[in-house]
Amino acid sequence: MLSFLIRRLNLLLITAFILTIIAFAIDRTILVHHQTQPLVQQDYVLQYFSYLWHIFSADLGHSALDQQPLLQRGLTFFASTLELCFVALLFSCIIAIPLGLLAGLFRNTKLDYAIMTVAIIGLALPVFWVGVMAVLLPSVWGDILPVDGNMSLVYDIPVVTGFLLIDTLFVTPEYGLFAFFDRVAHLILPAAVLSFFLIAEIVRLTRHSMTMVMRSNYIQTAYAKGFSRTKIVFKHALNNALPPIIPQLRLQLSTILSFAMTIEIVFNLNGIGTWLFNSLKTGDYHALPAGMLIITGFILMFSIAIEIIMVIISPIRRGSLYADK
Amino acid sequence: MLINNGFNEDKIQSPLRYIWSIFKSKSIAVVAMWVIVCLILISLFASWLVPHSPLLQDPDKMLLPPYWVDGGSIDHVLGTDDLGRDTLSRLFHGIQYTLGGALLITFFVSIIGMSIGAGAALTKGVKASILHHLLDALLAIPSLLSALILITFFGPSYVNCLLAIALSLLPQFIRASYLAIEQELNKQYIIALQLDGAAKTRLFRYGILPNILEPTTTILNRLFTMAIIEIATLGFLGFGAQLPQTELGSLIANNMELIYLSPWLVAFPGLAIFIIIIIVNVFAEGLRHAVIEGEE
Repeated sequence: MLSFLIRRLNLLLITAFILTIIAFAIDRTILVHHQTQPLVQQDYVLQYFSYLWHIFSADLGHSALDQQPLLQRGLTFFASTLELCFVALLFSCIIAIPLGLLAGLFRNTKLDYAIMTVAIIGLALPVFWVGVMAVLLPSVWGDILPVDGNMSLVYDIPVVTGFLLIDTLFVTPEYGLFAFFDRVAHLILPAAVLSFFLIAEIVRLTRHSMTMVMRSNYIQTAYAKGFSRTKIVFKHALNNALPPIIPQLRLQLSTILSFAMTIEIVFNLNGIGTWLFNSLKTGDYHALPAGMLIITGFILMFSIAIEIIMVIISPIRRGSLYADK
Repeated sequence: MLINNGFNEDKIQSPLRYIWSIFKSKSIAVVAMWVIVCLILISLFASWLVPHSPLLQDPDKMLLPPYWVDGGSIDHVLGTDDLGRDTLSRLFHGIQYTLGGALLITFFVSIIGMSIGAGAALTKGVKASILHHLLDALLAIPSLLSALILITFFGPSYVNCLLAIALSLLPQFIRASYLAIEQELNKQYIIALQLDGAAKTRLFRYGILPNILEPTTTILNRLFTMAIIEIATLGFLGFGAQLPQTELGSLIANNMELIYLSPWLVAFPGLAIFIIIIIVNVFAEGLRHAVIEGEE
């Protein structure tokens, strides 16, 4: 286990090293292109190490617009993006996994075709356009759900964790549950729009993995033993069909994040997408390397965490603990 | 009844011809293929096909609805925008920018990505390892973010947006083709071919390429879908096609303030993107099934 962890962390370090080089390159290019600070003639290697030192001491510079530290601002915004992704993921898992399992079980039937049609439609709808159409909804159905911003402006929520769902529950008892429900109401529409894509993706993955499992030899053996279909599906197939979806979905994480960023811009949510977009529009280019480091840092950590979890929960993956490669 | 089997020779078709004959029996996919051909023709000859110039303004006919709604005119089949410009013509030119750009991206990214992926899969050691880590790092950057980075450096324009999207989709494609080839390399017939002393190029051309058709159609389809969505997204955010150019995403963005006056102007470009993607997906799915059936 220890050697496995060391190998993973080794990979993480190399990738993080490449990413900091990219961020450094962006930072220097911005300095040269836009001349925000007087250039100090110095060796690039020395400059890189001082940049790295700044990253380690959690200082990515200050915004040129409001003089706020970039890292703290970025992390706060990123927390709200993550909240959106998480709610959408939860939402779409509840809908998509049963659909995908059904499609995989009844392959090449009318039910399968109907579910896959829904999945293709979900993939084909451009996310930002669905967002624009969803912003229109209040004018059609009346003001059921709010479509602007993270929360109503009446609530003043101090930033503790950055995750507003948690902050509204524990930090501000004076609002009771009203602030929490307000936040939930503001999240529903963006999360629903984001889950269009996620549902399509999860249905596809679940169907594929379920089909593969149902074709495998141990399921045939279980049939031959005379087990009932329900018992086979729930006791044997599900355990083996669901775990392979997680690493597949992990590969889609950066796509999901870029869709989430687009949706934030459409719905005017205060997330990292809106932050970067507004910073670029107003010429505060230093937000770019900071945002990049935050997002990619998260994706890296998340990938490693997923891999470790997979090794723990899935016996097939546990082989990689011992293998050399 | 005279049965003369002597002249009824069994023709052994080439695998591609066989796949094509299976594909021809799938009517929906064939329809989708012809629609794609029509769309490509539209995007090639948009300037000659459209009834009006996409930039021609007509102050007498502003914000017309489509002709099947009251107040519409058959002159402007899909209505006009706030300056009296014909929506259909603008849509055709939008398809030219969006579909044409996506096709260009798919073409170049697939050629470059396939050669890099094959090179990485067929070589072992330091080179492959460096590529592996570099790809891991590049894959961690969301495509929208890398497009934003590149556009910050080169300035927003349609060509830069295509370049940025191509560069941001390239790592995904390399990784996907690398995985497909890697899986193929472990098969027995490849090892037999290697034992025969086949060079790397021959191994790739005759051993691997005919056998990775199915994953290739899937990743090409995915590449194309993502390219269209990203071109439209960047256009929508204002980082892609600039104003006189009528890209579908930027059409949506430009007509956002008219959404309550004339929702058609926002609905049609979105529907166009939707239809393009769905048609291509149906076609690719049909092709994939034909390849699978052909291999079995």
